[in-house]
Amino acid sequence: MSEDKAQEQNSIPTSKVQRSAKFVKTGLKVGGNYIKHYSKKLFNPDLDRTELNEDNATDIYESLSELKGSALKVAQMLSMDKNILPKAYVDKFSQSQYNAPPLSGPLIVQTFKKYFGKSPEQIYDQFNLKSTNAASIGQVHQAMLNGQKLAVKIQYPGVGDSISSDLKLVKPFAFRLLGMSEKELDVYMREVEERLLEETDYELEVRRSIEFSNACSLLNNVVFPTYYPELSSKRIITMSWLEGQHLREFLQTNPSQELRNQIGQALWDFYNFQQHELRAVHADPHPGNFMITPDGKLGIIDFGCIKEMPEDFYYPFFSLTSTNLLDDKDETIKAFRKLEMILPNDTPQQIEFYYNMYRQMISLFAKPYMSNTFNFSQTAFFDELYGFGEMIARMPEFKQARGVKHFIYVNRTNFGLYNILHELQAEVRTDTYKPHLINVAE
Amino acid sequence: MATIDSIQSAYIDYVLTEGREPQSVYLFAKNNEMTEEEFYRYFGSFEAVEQNIWADFGKKTVTEIKTQEVWPQYSAREKALSFFYSFFELLKRSRSFAVYSLKKQPRALSSPRVLDNLKVIFENFADEILREGIETGELTDRKFFSKRYKDALWMQFGFVLKFWTNDNSAGFEKTDEAIEKGLNVTFDLFQRSPIDNLIDYGKFLAKNGSLKEKMGM
Repeated sequence: MSEDKAQEQNSIPTSKVQRSAKFVKTGLKVGGNYIKHYSKKLFNPDLDRTELNEDNATDIYESLSELKGSALKVAQMLSMDKNILPKAYVDKFSQSQYNAPPLSGPLIVQTFKKYFGKSPEQIYDQFNLKSTNAASIGQVHQAMLNGQKLAVKIQYPGVGDSISSDLKLVKPFAFRLLGMSEKELDVYMREVEERLLEETDYELEVRRSIEFSNACSLLNNVVFPTYYPELSSKRIITMSWLEGQHLREFLQTNPSQELRNQIGQALWDFYNFQQHELRAVHADPHPGNFMITPDGKLGIIDFGCIKEMPEDFYYPFFSLTSTNLLDDKDETIKAFRKLEMILPNDTPQQIEFYYNMYRQMISLFAKPYMSNTFNFSQTAFFDELYGFGEMIARMPEFKQARGVKHFIYVNRTNFGLYNILHELQAEVRTDTYKPHLINVAE
Repeated sequence: MATIDSIQSAYIDYVLTEGREPQSVYLFAKNNEMTEEEFYRYFGSFEAVEQNIWADFGKKTVTEIKTQEVWPQYSAREKALSFFYSFFELLKRSRSFAVYSLKKQPRALSSPRVLDNLKVIFENFADEILREGIETGELTDRKFFSKRYKDALWMQFGFVLKFWTNDNSAGFEKTDEAIEKGLNVTFDLFQRSPIDNLIDYGKFLAKNGSLKEKMGM
């Protein structure tokens, strides 16, 4: 067990120096790809950049997935900024977690002493110093208090700093690798940094968890743990232990279609209720954040990442997906302008081009919203989605980032949701919580 | 009647208020209503007072961590971590004195003289846990080197202490990180590592150097 852990640690570059080295290596590789490209071009002037871009993408992706941690999160975000996830990425999606070495027993004791002035044994009736699993930026321990089984999440020290320094490391490379200018990318980077740093604030997470679990308590088949703010602090969260299986384990038990649909429906309702009723959404649809309880309910165990949707994003975006606005070219372009998918300086040809591409993309995305029920088991829909994503990722016109910063997390949320529903092979009613729209057409 | 404790706290109070050590034992004793003789009964100099204060931090830490319920379950690595965390937690309460005492020491490669007594306590403690670690097989017994393990720990301690005096993160969180990461590296080195296997293999090859000839290659 401990040996396994040690092995795991050895393979991940953890220090800033190591990580920098990793980025440097990627930079060199990419440099190499350019040399390869230009030397080939000497002999074949017609050579286009497709191969080069592919080479680059592979190298960047490989090195970033080795890095894990927030670097991978950033990679995730950047690829999502291309609006649709490349398929290879989705496979890695569920593995991407902040991967810090486990906390030693004495450090856990120290953390408790620092925040509560007591050791864990003095606070709980029972406390297991061996963690049961890793949370995204911390680890989870089991404890007992007054006969209640508890989950205690403890954050690794220095995570906040490590996120900021990772992002600083990623930035200059990302500009070069993605061919974006610093100014363009900065907006997105700041959005990502903001969310990631929010995740490290456990006091905020407890407040939000309580708020969201209360607001969502009316939903069918969705359950939340009880949070104990008096036993939580900046780096510790205490909540009741939810019994259940993770999505993967659940799927291995070969659940009935009925049960799959029930869980899928709970997921759909949970997300769409938040998006349209609360205007703020649990933006981390990572399979590890859900539990399926023995009585067939969906348990939600992590509210670290919340994306609030401002009106100037919400109305134009959802009026595109949920009305027949797309049939009206002028109005659609107007909405695209509001969302900065079409920019003020675009030429008429560019407007036409982006109008067509984004229209296709949005209508694909909005498909589940267009009917009352939608079957997420259809592979065709997902192939089309990924195929489209991969196609535009290769188009030079999309080298430049477009769209307001809110897309990063809203896309991540919705595509994450679609993916989980696809894994569940669920058929869900998509008309349960619909967008509330004022007439944007004026 | 002066006691070790009362002299120590009077001394701490004096240096923190005045920012320097008293001009003479005579003046210090007079101000604290004792005779010079009483002072010398316990301490030979002001430096000895400081040495003893530091040693007290060490003694208190060792006593405290050994009373923890989990103590017997801890591995050598965890015991060392526990010492470091508790020591710096304790030191937090006397940070001003600690910083004063360390900052006035001349920069030198060896550890500052005020830590001499603490070093003895630390090394006794380190010896004890390292021996346990070697007995249970957690740490590797290496010829010559295993005797130097405690020196490595002491160096680590000196490093963390220096780090802590310059740490201005909230709650000294960075010091926690320095302890966790630093000690883990140190203990990783104490454990059986690829280097041991490499040396072992090297020895084997050296001993069987004539193998090739024997096999006619």
